[in-house]
Amino acid sequence: MTEAARALEVEHLFAGYDRADVLVDVSITARAGEITCILGSNGSGKTTLVRSILGLTPPRRGRIVFDGADITGLPTHRVIALGIACIPEGRKVFPKLTIEENLRLGAYRETDEATIRKRLGEVHSIFPKLEERRTQLAGTMSGGEQAMLSIGRGLMSGPRMLLIDEPSLGLSPLFVRQNFEVIRRVNEQGVTVLLVEQNAHQTLAIAHRGYVLSKGRVVAEGSAAALRDNEEVRRAYFG
Amino acid sequence: MDAGVLAQYVFNGVMLGVIYAMVAVGFTLFFGVLDVIQFAHGDVVMAGAFVGLATYLALHALGIAAPAVVVLVVACAAGLGMALLGAIIARWLILPLRAAPAFNTLLVTLMLGSILRELVRLFYPNGSNPQPFPRLLPSASANLGHFTLRLDTTLLIVTGLVTIVIVNLVVRRTRLGLAIRAVAQDSETARVMGIDFERVVLVTFAIGSALAGFAGVVYGLYYNEVNFDIGLLLGVIGFSAAVVGGLGSIYGAILGGFLFAALQTIGSVALPVSSAYSNVFAFAVVIVLMTWKPTGLIAEPASERV
Ligand SMILES: Nc1ncnc2c1ncn2[C@@H]1O[C@H](COP(=O)(O)OP(=O)(O)OP(=O)(O)O)[C@@H](O)[C@H]1O
Ligand SMILES: [Mg+2]
Repeated sequence: MTEAARALEVEHLFAGYDRADVLVDVSITARAGEITCILGSNGSGKTTLVRSILGLTPPRRGRIVFDGADITGLPTHRVIALGIACIPEGRKVFPKLTIEENLRLGAYRETDEATIRKRLGEVHSIFPKLEERRTQLAGTMSGGEQAMLSIGRGLMSGPRMLLIDEPSLGLSPLFVRQNFEVIRRVNEQGVTVLLVEQNAHQTLAIAHRGYVLSKGRVVAEGSAAALRDNEEVRRAYFG
Repeated sequence: MDAGVLAQYVFNGVMLGVIYAMVAVGFTLFFGVLDVIQFAHGDVVMAGAFVGLATYLALHALGIAAPAVVVLVVACAAGLGMALLGAIIARWLILPLRAAPAFNTLLVTLMLGSILRELVRLFYPNGSNPQPFPRLLPSASANLGHFTLRLDTTLLIVTGLVTIVIVNLVVRRTRLGLAIRAVAQDSETARVMGIDFERVVLVTFAIGSALAGFAGVVYGLYYNEVNFDIGLLLGVIGFSAAVVGGLGSIYGAILGGFLFAALQTIGSVALPVSSAYSNVFAFAVVIVLMTWKPTGLIAEPASERV
């Protein structure tokens, strides 16, 4: 594989909060232009992995490389400046800001107003509701609408890579299907995606490759098709 | 009461309210972005007044006397000087103490306030005694019955209000203000948006402290006297105003500032005791208000910020 094909590489990562390591020797690669998924049950360390990449939970050991640049331990705003955006677990919209202010924060590092307006237009065409309700406070929206806002906000920076943490959490099947369709289309336009999920069925349907985390370790990896057939994954996720 | 006398009390009360609101907005901004109380903030007001005074004396020594120029330079020196001081306090005291218990920040800023006071007392020439602050504004006035409308006080009220409005507009309408509000609501997600958290904190402390510096100059120009210990009472008043209005809310801080000035005025006029009791009265009412509405008059959940 050439350097360019590997958008994100996590090498032998150890990370955690207090004493014990939550992630133990985790190595994953997200190839440029692909959707790479991280599957794992509650508490397996998926969010911790995303936080480590973003510099929110700096790793204890190991290396994180994005587009050839070592980003291990970099402050979060500088990781974002390199072209990574995140749709965080639990949406994390700013409840007392309007929908438009939330979207503009997604493009915070972009200073050109014309570019911001163009991106607003693109997000509005995906989620027309966000345009109708521009001036509404995000905290007054329903869970499904907040999910749209969080996805739209993640797209506002025009990222090269998107980290998405459990977009299906707490959503009705219809919303989940719509949002996965949006993720698939964004990826088709060239954005590399790291998709963290518990929902293995729908995730493997749109992912190219994936990893399975269990208790902070990678226990399986391969193409989406291979993971679907993998005994361990079947047992863990398909009942 | 005579309408003219009443108007006079209201006018003077508004002047005080503007000064208190300028101080309270700083408290509320700092609490908004970082959940800290900067207990040296009142002494930053005092330091601003002394920087203004020293600047005036320097200009005087240089033979620069055009009043408009002098006032402008004095105000800018105090504002910029305190902005720098605020950023230094944030960078070297507040941010490093973030990992420690909130109690430590409280203690450290209390001690910093004492240091600022003592430094002025020891190193400003004759600093233990009150210093005359020059009258730099036109002293014209109009008499309407028992009401004297002074031009200088009017200018101070208007300028003070304008600076508060400007700070509010920066917070509500600009990209920087959006970053400040985002950090206030959820600093971690704000970082994920690409916001440089530490920079936003430094800038917020610079803005709040510049406002305190201006407040110091306004205080000096109004009372024509400053002393090394004026920050003690101004700090407690500004802090109470911010808390009673609803800590974290700019509008609450402004409301609280005017409310405190109103209480002081009522205390000195309407009570059948000496006007020396005005602060006792005002603080007592504030205590009652705080027990009645613990989260502030501008009722809002704890998540509402700036
Ligand atoms: N802020 C924190 N402080 C201490 N421990 C934490 C913290 N966040 C997570 N943990 C612990 O780290 C482990 C992994 O959590 P993590 O959130 O990474 O799992 P996850 O795979 O994202 O789970 P979920 O599917 O529930 O989102 C868990 O045991 C959790 O208790
Ligand atoms: Mg998680």
